[in-house]
Amino acid sequence: MKDRILIVDDDDQLVNAYRDYLSGLGYPVDCTGEIEEAQTLLSHFDYSVVITDLRLSRLNFGGLDLVKFIHEASLPTRVVVLTAYGWPELKAEATNQGVDAFLRKPMRLSDLAKAVDMLSGGNA
Amino acid sequence: MKKSLLETILDPHQLSVRFQPIFRIADGENQIHSVEALIRGPRGTHFESAEVLFDYVRRKREERAVDHSCLAAICAEAVHLPSDLRINVNVHAATLGQSSGFVESFRRRVKKHSLSLDRFTVEIVEHAPTCDIPELSHTIAGLRSAGVRIALDDVGLGHSNYRMMLDCHPEYFKLDAYFVRGLRDDHKRRAVVESVVTFGRALRSSVVAEGAESMEDIAILADMGVEFVQCNVLCAAVTVEELLTTGSVRHASPLFISSREMEKGAAGNVAMLRTGEDPPPFSPNACRWDVRSRMH
Repeated sequence: MKDRILIVDDDDQLVNAYRDYLSGLGYPVDCTGEIEEAQTLLSHFDYSVVITDLRLSRLNFGGLDLVKFIHEASLPTRVVVLTAYGWPELKAEATNQGVDAFLRKPMRLSDLAKAVDMLSGGNA
Repeated sequence: MKKSLLETILDPHQLSVRFQPIFRIADGENQIHSVEALIRGPRGTHFESAEVLFDYVRRKREERAVDHSCLAAICAEAVHLPSDLRINVNVHAATLGQSSGFVESFRRRVKKHSLSLDRFTVEIVEHAPTCDIPELSHTIAGLRSAGVRIALDDVGLGHSNYRMMLDCHPEYFKLDAYFVRGLRDDHKRRAVVESVVTFGRALRSSVVAEGAESMEDIAILADMGVEFVQCNVLCAAVTVEELLTTGSVRHASPLFISSREMEKGAAGNVAMLRTGEDPPPFSPNACRWDVRSRMH
C-alpha cells in the first residue's frame, strides 16, 4: 500500500482528475475543497503528501495558510502547491514557507505523479 | 453540485445517534440513571468519528447550527426510548452563550417529538473562553425553569474550570476520563477525584466519572463518593435498538461480573452489585439494569 495523499482544491473537476490518476497508481487519496476540512483531516490522519491549490475559496493564498498550519503542527507531511500563476516571487515565497514542490497549472498529470512519487518515496 | 461537508452535517438524517448508559453506583441502587446521546457523523466517512466531526465543526465555528442538527437527530431517536429514561445531550457553551432563543427552539424540538423537556440534561461542552457568561447563565436559567438539568462536561480539562462550576452551578460534574483511568495505582488522580467530589458536595452537585477501565476502579470511585459512572466496562455507546434488546446492556452489566472479578475489586458499595456467582438467567423483573424493564 502506498502512502496516503490529501488533495485540497475547490475545483471538483480537477480534484476528480487528480484523484482518479493517483488512485490508479495505487495511492489512497482523500479530497476536500476547503481549508478547515483539510486541517481537520491532517490533525487526525497521516498523510505523506498534500497537494493543494494556492487559491482556495474565499482565501487568495489559502494553500500557503495550509502550509503554515502543517509546519506549526510539526507534521511530517510534504506539500505540493499548484497555481495558475507563475510569478517567480510567488514561487520564492512558497519555497520560503516550506513548500516542497511548486507546479504551474495546467500541468501533465504525470508531472504531478512524479512530484508525489519523489516526495512520498513512492511507497509506505 | 456536490454538497459540502458542512451541508451534509446540517442534515440530521446524515447523523447517527448512539446512547451510552450512565449508571448510579451510590447507595447500592444499581440502575441505569440516564443515557448520554452521542453523535456520529456521516457513515463511511472520516467524519463518522465524533472527535473528528466536532474538531471540524469548531474550526468552521458552526457549533450553533450543528448543535441544532444534532438535537434534531437525537430527538428523532429518543422517541424509541423508555419514557422515564433521562437523556443527556451535549451542547456547546458557545451555542448556549450566543443564542438567546435556544430554550424556545429546544422546547419546540422536543415538543415536536412528544418528548418531555424534564427528561433532558444539557451537558455543556467546550467552554470557550470567549463565551458570553451572562448570556450563558440566562440560557441555563431558562432551561432550568423548563425542567432541564445541567451537567458540566470534561471537568478538570480546558475551560471547564472552577469559574464555570460556580457560574453554571450544574446538577452534575462530569469528571473527564483522564482523571479516572488508572485510578487504583495513582494517588494523584485519586486526589483530583476527591477534590471534585468534595466540591460537588459543597455545591450539592453529583459527580459522574467517565472512562473507568475496571470494576476495581468503579469500586474505588463508589467508596470515594462518586455517585454515577459512565464507561465501556459497564456498557459501550450503542444504538437505540441494541439498547432496547437485552444483549448489550446484559452483556456489559455488572450482573455479568465474574466472582473472580468481584473479589479483585475493592470492598465497598460495588459489592452490592453482586447478584450471584455466575451470570443469572435474564429476568426483566429482577434485572434493574435492563432498559426493557423501564418501558411502560
